[in-house]
Amino acid sequence: MLSEIKFTLNGKRIIYQGDPLRRLLDVIREDLGFTGTKEGCSEGECGACSVIKDGRLVTSCIIPIGACNGSDILTIEGIRDTEKGECIISAFAEGGAVQCGFCIPGMVMAAYYLLENNPNPSEEEIRMGISGNICRCTGYDLIVDSIALAAKKGEELWKK
Amino acid sequence: MEEMMCYIPENLEEALAIMDEKDAIALAGGSDLMVSGANGTGVNPSFSRPVVIISNLPELKGIKKREDGWTEIGALSTSREIAESGLVHPLVRNAASLMGAVALRNSATIGGNIANASPKGDTPQPLILLDAEVTLKSVRGERRMKVDDFILGAKKTKLEKGEIITSVLIPPSSLTHCYYRKIGMRRANAISKLTISIGAEVRDGKVVDFRASSGAAGPKVIRSHEAESILIGKTLSELTEYKEEFLDAWNNAISPRAMPEYRRGTTRRMLSFFIDALSAGVQEGIIE
Repeated sequence: MLSEIKFTLNGKRIIYQGDPLRRLLDVIREDLGFTGTKEGCSEGECGACSVIKDGRLVTSCIIPIGACNGSDILTIEGIRDTEKGECIISAFAEGGAVQCGFCIPGMVMAAYYLLENNPNPSEEEIRMGISGNICRCTGYDLIVDSIALAAKKGEELWKK
Repeated sequence: MEEMMCYIPENLEEALAIMDEKDAIALAGGSDLMVSGANGTGVNPSFSRPVVIISNLPELKGIKKREDGWTEIGALSTSREIAESGLVHPLVRNAASLMGAVALRNSATIGGNIANASPKGDTPQPLILLDAEVTLKSVRGERRMKVDDFILGAKKTKLEKGEIITSVLIPPSSLTHCYYRKIGMRRANAISKLTISIGAEVRDGKVVDFRASSGAAGPKVIRSHEAESILIGKTLSELTEYKEEFLDAWNNAISPRAMPEYRRGTTRRMLSFFIDALSAGVQEGIIE
């Protein structure tokens, strides 16, 4: 039986010893202070709390930290200064994808996951890729265009 | 000290022992349980019974084809893994691929979807059409039964104290024609309003097997062997003659509570579309 949970957050080793039912989201935001990841619906439906767990996009509000032993977790803070992260974020700025900004960390994580697995997505594939991320400002079109721009600008970057 | 309410076993044997000892609830992907036990921001979820987090048990992972031709899906297989697997029947892959959205499909497991036994759950519906079975394990041993028998009604199953669903078994299928629809309010992140799977095996112009299963049209997924038998054994040219009798029988089998006219009418049209396509000699495969 595990008594502590070892995982990495943005490459840094973490040992967690509290309640295994604590939400990954609360560990990220409250315990470790990475507040880029947002809490929206708290039911795994809006995508604001999206992070990458072991290479897969997940909503951190519905994952207990007890399910994260041995996992590598990546949040917006872990990708924003990487080449790929910068590519998406600058495309979002250039494309006018951001209004209030609350959904954007989740959108960027969804875009990152999409482009990592599909370097050259169609518009339909982009829309499916962010179909679990709700934005109440933009109407999505500029976000979709910006992800297409990130795919185009990044080109070789996403094929690695 | 407060009694510990959550355990993280490292292997199945440890999991079964603690499940039995504590009369615990197993947590797999967490997508249903973490919401039902939620207490808000910064406050840890709580449950009426101890929780055993089985998310990382290696024994419950992977999808494989067995020597007897059955497909064995580890209970922790996620919707994405199922949707992407060439070993899984297209009807089940279809249902898995339309569940929730990207991130949910990376978390939600087939074992959890069955154990949750929501009438609107996406994967039990095609599994019941295919006569799929679940394997249940506890310290007392192993049981196997049809998913249709395991799910008793809305949120009710035959899961006994200390038991865990360890795998889902799908028998080899000889269906030649299949049809699947999920109707929701949106294309993604939609709780099903109505789902249906229909399958037929046509050999030399004769319907040797005919099945349907309706999801979200009653307290559990509905199959009616009585209605199905109306079409089994008929030739393709006889289908039109027996169609209305079948549709009436199916209409009597389903029991939608909310919006019954809509659910009955739509179910009827989907079944009618499939039967008409068969009569017209549509080619084998998934009928769109």
